[in-house]
Amino acid sequence: MINTEGMIAETAAKIYTDLCGREVPHEAEAGNFPQALWNALTENGLPLAWVSEDNGGFGADYDEVFGAIWVSAEAASPVPFAETLIGNWLLDRAGLEIPDGASTFAILEGKTASVPFAGAADHVAVFDANKSTISLYKSADISAAQEQALSPDGDTRLDFSIATPVASAETNMTQRAVEALILTVRAVQMASAIEAALNLSIAYVSDREQFGRPLSKFQAIQHQLAVAASESAAATMAATQAASALASSADDPEKAWHEAVVAKVQIGHSVEAVTVPFHQVHGAMGYTQEYDLHHYTRRLWAWRDTLGNEHRWSKLLGAELAVTSPDQIWKGVTTGAWIAS
Amino acid sequence: MQRFSFPVVQPDPALEELRSELQAFLKEEREAGNFRPEPECWMASSDTEFSKKMGQRGWIGLTWSSQYGGHDKTALERYIVTEETLRAGAPVGAHWIADRQHAPMLIEHGTEEQKLDILPRIAAGECYFAIGLSEPGAGSDLANVKTNAEKVEGGWKINGQKIWSSGAHISHYMVAILRTSPADGRNRHVGLSQIMIDLSLPGVTIKPITDLSGDAHFNEVYFEDVIVPDDCLLGEEGGGWKQVTGELAMERSGPERFLSSYITLETALYQLQGKLGSDSQARLGKLIANLRTLRGMSWGIANLLHQGVSPETEAALVKDLGNRLENDLTLQVRALLNDLPEEEWSDEMRRILNIGILRSPPNTLRGGTTEVMRGITARQLGLR
Repeated sequence: MINTEGMIAETAAKIYTDLCGREVPHEAEAGNFPQALWNALTENGLPLAWVSEDNGGFGADYDEVFGAIWVSAEAASPVPFAETLIGNWLLDRAGLEIPDGASTFAILEGKTASVPFAGAADHVAVFDANKSTISLYKSADISAAQEQALSPDGDTRLDFSIATPVASAETNMTQRAVEALILTVRAVQMASAIEAALNLSIAYVSDREQFGRPLSKFQAIQHQLAVAASESAAATMAATQAASALASSADDPEKAWHEAVVAKVQIGHSVEAVTVPFHQVHGAMGYTQEYDLHHYTRRLWAWRDTLGNEHRWSKLLGAELAVTSPDQIWKGVTTGAWIAS
Repeated sequence: MQRFSFPVVQPDPALEELRSELQAFLKEEREAGNFRPEPECWMASSDTEFSKKMGQRGWIGLTWSSQYGGHDKTALERYIVTEETLRAGAPVGAHWIADRQHAPMLIEHGTEEQKLDILPRIAAGECYFAIGLSEPGAGSDLANVKTNAEKVEGGWKINGQKIWSSGAHISHYMVAILRTSPADGRNRHVGLSQIMIDLSLPGVTIKPITDLSGDAHFNEVYFEDVIVPDDCLLGEEGGGWKQVTGELAMERSGPERFLSSYITLETALYQLQGKLGSDSQARLGKLIANLRTLRGMSWGIANLLHQGVSPETEAALVKDLGNRLENDLTLQVRALLNDLPEEEWSDEMRRILNIGILRSPPNTLRGGTTEVMRGITARQLGLR
């Protein structure tokens, strides 16, 4: 399970509880970057959790950090905590120095790439799949305005051919290893956000009255949220399974690729199945900026696009399964061993 | 606050060895023509000879003591056996319910004599049980049961009718929920008890009900002054409602809640390997991701139950998700098959697909309808 009881997760939980109350994501979107929150995270070294000790980090195990990521998504983190963790992980794997400040990441397959949370990051760590390099860019060198983003941490399409990286190194990491890490982090964030929005919806329908009774007493409402709950539980399972696969193949994250893709596909497809009922039961209130629901639903709409949408990944997984023996597919379904050993 | 939690349990080499044994046996039986694979095999496909073979190999009664003919293993071994037989579409219907549900009930509530008499026969694949819950006036509203057990000297006299009892025509016993005393005003949950009935007793009449495909695997069972001895009351007199709901909660997350139609997919995969177009690949990727996720949930819950934890909410959600997936799987296979010219579809493929479609309606009904399950979930979420 996603362990939210380790030291790293508990530190993150305390910071988010103290410094990321419900008003903070609202204020961040109004342009007030929550500096106190970000400072607390960096002073405690949390964005360096996956950086090796030689390089100034904690060298923490994968599973020690997933709890912190869960907590950050539950609070609709308005700072790029997960993105910086990933960016720093990439840089560290190539032996590059970790810059101060917030980072984000991209996988480059041509000249341009989609970059999440670009607006809040000082740097972008880029894995170039063709050259097998990891490079560090300054955001200022490649900045581009996004006309209408899905959420503050959503993707912006950036052109990397116009800038020179400030540092670059070859890496022996495969694209699949990088994808496994990124997709697993996103899966954990998404499962957490789905559960947080479910809880928000349960609280709302228990409080809001129409026709003389709380909405929660209407069977039509109950059943919508029961279905959403089943999708939420499945998302948590998929994320947990991916996180566990990564934790048990720390030396070779590529081995966790299939479980990460399963999570991407499972959770990506469930976004619609949860955001529709969450908004439906909230009525017009859920459509306002004032209310909190959109902090989760817009993030879910943005995050399901990470490294391409769920349809792309369903096809990537299916293309491989289409030439895999039925025995091996069954082995994958039952034990997570997707490739013949 | 709702917080879902599932343990991820790594494959255990001993369990995987058991899985290999099952696979070898099932392949051999199938290739020898001893069974033809079918979807929904645990409900609608029974073969007493096959059940005896399973019993001889020690694959029934895994979870109970060898003192009663069992095999001193755990529910996890049983899980592997059940998922492999489901995958194979094997005719396991005869023994399934006794092995899953009634043997554990007898172990908890039966007399020593009953245990010594009945459990070894269940484990041998020779003694079968039917469920006696539904009645004509008590479907989803189970507390409305009217079949009555009246206290008589040395036992109970039963009158009334049960319905939809799968396998009753080949079963030796039924465990029925019966009214043993009147409801307490509006509280209908009191006064219900679970009673084991020998179906060979005078006064029992079993009439088959034919399903829409022409199969007759479920039944109406009538009781007219049927006398059973005192020790056939299982558990507490008047405590039947609690026992039944607890029992139902335990069996909502097993592999039969999401793998009943897997044989349809697997049969198609053998035909389609290397032939799927782009859209179908995406369809297959999503379907397998859904299956892997549900298997993770179901297996995680099995491990929690094994440790004595009962995650009721999660178990109810598995049934809802799983039943939807079973029906979706059959529809997805229909779509995938478009990548193969119809003249290349095997007869076996057509047969299995058609059976799957014809047997799809009860997926979302048995063991608690989707609507009942969502009501249970809503209650656990604090909504009612």
